[in-house]
Amino acid sequence: MAPPILKVDRLVKHFPVTSGIVISKQVGAVKAVDDISFEVRSGETLALVGESGCGKSTTGRLVLRLLERTSGHVEIDGVDIFSLDRQALRKKRRDMQIIFQDPYASLNPRMTVGDVLAEPLRVHEVASGRALRERVEELLRVVGLAPYHAGRYPHEFSGGQRQRIGIARALAVNPRLIVCDEPVSALDVSIQAQVVNLLQDLQAKYGLSYLFIAHDLAVVKHISDRVAVMYLGKIVELTDKTTLYANPRHPYTQALLSAIPVADPAVPHGRGIIQGDVPSPLNPPSGCRFHTRCPHVQDRCKAEEPAFRDLAPGHQVACHFAEEIAVPDTVRARQSSQISDAYRRRLAAYETKQARRQTAVEETIS
Amino acid sequence: MTAVVAAPAAAAVKAPGRRSVVRRLARDPAALLASVFLAAVVLAALLAPWIAPYDPFYTDPSKGMRPPFEDAAYFFGTDAQGRDILSRLLYGTRLTLLMGLVALTMGGILGTAVGIVAAFYRRVDGLLMRVMDVLLSFPAILFGLAIAAITGPGLSPIIIALAIATVPLLARISRSSALVIMQQDYIDAARAVGLVDGAIIWRYLLPNCLSSIFVFSTLRFGQIILIGAALSFLGLGAQPPTAELGTMAANGRDFLFFAPHIATIPSLTIFAIVLAFNVLGDALRDILDPRLRY
Repeated sequence: MAPPILKVDRLVKHFPVTSGIVISKQVGAVKAVDDISFEVRSGETLALVGESGCGKSTTGRLVLRLLERTSGHVEIDGVDIFSLDRQALRKKRRDMQIIFQDPYASLNPRMTVGDVLAEPLRVHEVASGRALRERVEELLRVVGLAPYHAGRYPHEFSGGQRQRIGIARALAVNPRLIVCDEPVSALDVSIQAQVVNLLQDLQAKYGLSYLFIAHDLAVVKHISDRVAVMYLGKIVELTDKTTLYANPRHPYTQALLSAIPVADPAVPHGRGIIQGDVPSPLNPPSGCRFHTRCPHVQDRCKAEEPAFRDLAPGHQVACHFAEEIAVPDTVRARQSSQISDAYRRRLAAYETKQARRQTAVEETIS
Repeated sequence: MTAVVAAPAAAAVKAPGRRSVVRRLARDPAALLASVFLAAVVLAALLAPWIAPYDPFYTDPSKGMRPPFEDAAYFFGTDAQGRDILSRLLYGTRLTLLMGLVALTMGGILGTAVGIVAAFYRRVDGLLMRVMDVLLSFPAILFGLAIAAITGPGLSPIIIALAIATVPLLARISRSSALVIMQQDYIDAARAVGLVDGAIIWRYLLPNCLSSIFVFSTLRFGQIILIGAALSFLGLGAQPPTAELGTMAANGRDFLFFAPHIATIPSLTIFAIVLAFNVLGDALRDILDPRLRY
């Protein structure tokens, strides 16, 4: 097994909540990330999934030290990034980059695309002068844009193109780890596929590791090697993709997977397994944090917090009853969804045509 | 490509939509009128030494208090000392605009710096903004009185007073727009790239705050001129015989009943300039509002 490029160890981030204007005192803390540990191995994609507000993005920002932690460690290539001073941290940033969710907010509207891409190269003194220009052109080509785009401003591009620019910026300094913070959530479905495929191609080409934050389980299934499911600041289940989708052990994961819409009326819908809203991270429930919404809740869940334990090699779950809870039918049905042969043939024909069109487009661009 | 990477930052900052700003200004008749008027005023003020028909300080009591619009030689008439009002108006506008510009630049740069620093380094935010609140609680007239009491009346104490009174206003405006920009992902992106704080502020934060700062400055320029003229009118500013619009209005005050033009002409000039700046500022706010642009 390859050594981990990213090691997160008991990471905690609490946002203090203060009250009082003159003498402010802390009245509580939003436990955005509460004691999570995971690893991203070299060259793999670890997906971090969960509902809005569960702490996914906070985790992503902590990993890059765009936020300061409350406690815990983040090691990138064996270096604890929270122990670095400002100078060393800036140097270390070469190895770790980020792609943002909103392609409209992630590019400085006052800088040309060429300047946006040149910025990391200048900061890390990778290239200058002619070499810099050539590298910028190369980056644009790598993400499927044309060299002449360098002179344009972000508002002249579509959302998908902007996201490609964001990807090119992240790639500029040849990082080893890229945190993808919901990189396709803000895009149309047709553009999502392009961007996801681009990310996969780049991973194969440059041996990148991704921490892929998402809430779209279909995209996650497509791109990830392993998946970590977060709920209210904690990881509740972490395993490889195949196991997770076929044999989810945590009731929350099961509920999430049941909720995936399937374009097949024969498949029973699994909505409504969990009800209500996510409890406030300001005052999370006692014991297991999921107990307020869990269909299998028992007394022990309310009192005792379940350990994040190894269920099988490479499969960790935080549930007292992980062995006993059966995988619901709604999840199983999604695994063996029967699509007719005719439909499968049509789908295949469509995909070939799409691929051909894509190649044609790429050829015209280059 | 070559030109783009080599292009200086200043050009990059102003290029997008600059032409469209001019075009959109031209489409608004009031704003167009205000801009044309202001351009003419600035031009006349700049060219005062060449276009003024007389020496603004030359007195001739025999020609005192001529009414306006009667004699082509003295278009706006003469004041009590027989000085040509048109010439004094040109020189006075020059001084008034200069006073406003210097005060606004000084106060604006300082205020923007305070606001941006407060937004970027939240730890000093509370302290800086409370200091600004203290400054804000004194009216500009009071600063003028206080400073003039120390240094004696003159143009410099007025400029300093106006600058000080402008600092907290611009600090607030720039802070509030900088706080919005700080929430944008591109600030995090700049951090993730490894830029130092200074570069983030200078290239990412400031350029994106500039439009609201610029709009407010335009509006503030009108107010500064008004307050400055008021201070001069009170006798704290430019001293006679210096031609300054507020001082000229003050000089004419004694003859308001039998030669009203001596006070009203400079007053109306102040009014027109301030109004034009307000109209222009309003139009620029509509045009440059980032919510309408991107």
